[in-house]
Amino acid sequence: MENKDKIVVITDLRTEEAKSAASYLSGLGYTIVSPPDSVRLWKEEEITAFAAPLKENLYAVIHPAPPLFKGGIMEVTEEDWERMSNEGAIAAFMVTKAFCTIFREKKSGIMIYLNSIHAEKPMGKGILYSMNCGAVDMLSREAAQDYSESGVNVFFIERGITQSDDGKSDASALYYGTDMRYPRRETPKADYLNGLIAFLLTDAAYPLTGQPILCDAGMTGFYNQHRFKVEGREYFDFRKFRELREKESGK
Amino acid sequence: MISGSSESLEKKSPENRVALITGSGKGVGAGIIRVFTKAGIRCCINCNTNRAMADELLKEVESYGGEAFIYQADVTDPEMRKGMVDAVLEHYGRLDILVNNAAMQPNRFIDGYDEETFRWLWNINIGGYFHMVRECLPYLKESPEGRIINISSVHGKRPTSFDAGYATTKGAIRMFTRELALELLPTGITVNAIDLGGCKIEFKTGNAKWVTYHPMEINNPTMKRVNLQVLPTEVGDVVYFLCSKEGKAINGHAVRVDNGLLLT
Repeated sequence: MENKDKIVVITDLRTEEAKSAASYLSGLGYTIVSPPDSVRLWKEEEITAFAAPLKENLYAVIHPAPPLFKGGIMEVTEEDWERMSNEGAIAAFMVTKAFCTIFREKKSGIMIYLNSIHAEKPMGKGILYSMNCGAVDMLSREAAQDYSESGVNVFFIERGITQSDDGKSDASALYYGTDMRYPRRETPKADYLNGLIAFLLTDAAYPLTGQPILCDAGMTGFYNQHRFKVEGREYFDFRKFRELREKESGK
Repeated sequence: MISGSSESLEKKSPENRVALITGSGKGVGAGIIRVFTKAGIRCCINCNTNRAMADELLKEVESYGGEAFIYQADVTDPEMRKGMVDAVLEHYGRLDILVNNAAMQPNRFIDGYDEETFRWLWNINIGGYFHMVRECLPYLKESPEGRIINISSVHGKRPTSFDAGYATTKGAIRMFTRELALELLPTGITVNAIDLGGCKIEFKTGNAKWVTYHPMEINNPTMKRVNLQVLPTEVGDVVYFLCSKEGKAINGHAVRVDNGLLLT
């Protein structure tokens, strides 16, 4: 397979999107490598040591955001602050430095930040998560400025909520009708980003460097209709509305 | 002395609110102090390394009958943060406005940052903001018109090409502001940011240790022709408006105060 000598590093496999991308890209022939748990991404020495031996066949790096973490300003703890800073902005910064330095020497490489719409849209109870997403958004733009002229493409994906997030992050406990926020009235599965990621690994994607790529299945197009769950209130259900309208019109 | 106009706002002093402005011994923070104190808001001037300049500022404030006091504190130090907020309550018995302003800009590319340097910057530029809000929030909630203003930069949206770490922290402030505004909606506290462009200040704190600051007009042909730098008191005027009754409806927003720099 033409991609067999190309190493794609996925720095964090904790989210379903990252796992799905690993499986998909592996199917396309890429060699997928991830750091062992002993490598802390926010420790410059550790991530640099991990990256060095991969230099020869290193083709791309995909750096996913950590799993969604909820908590208000007074609810999160100092430990939460420390952990999310480490796993968020500091890890992204150190990963960028470690791998883009190699890419610069090779005069080619692809850096993809698999991040979140919460780099742009607040959720109301995700102070640490969104803050770090916003930070990585700007880091990606700076990385493009710093490395693109050396042949490095830098992409930042703002992904939406997926079905796996609902289970893991409890987003459905926060909002009414997650499905209703998508034009297709269906929360996408974790694999919906795979096509985009595969495209970003091709030469044709270079014009998208340095700008956030919104890929959220239309969710933020509907953003102003978000409703936080409030006890005693019901959310406007488009499906029921349509059924009622069709019934009334005799269709 | 760097001064500017706040004449139109001087007559509007309907209340006797209290503000804490971090990093306000000089520069942008001092500009805000000047506007606030002229408008009758009692202020805590927070400085860390430049005490002499804060002393001069206090003298100036007192000369026109403004009310303020100085608290020397490093916003990354938990005990100092608490001590500062306690001092505000001790002096004035209330806290209505928090302006997060203390920040650093080392001017380095990604390669120029090691883990320690980036962590240091992160802990000041966003850690200081985050923890100051946590420290002040219980008292801001008691205010009838609580306000939080986060002084940020146009580089929260547009890359610098000269300081990756700085822009990263400003991106964090962008989302910190939006999240906080949404979370605090039920409390009536508004949270906004100022996306500051080039600002005419005395000097940038910490630059002696890092890289010399080069004013942007050297590299920017537009700024050679037109001075796009804003004055600290001009920033203060906008902050004052956001903190006024008239500014109440603006929430979760980043107001660009840059004389149009970002349009270039």
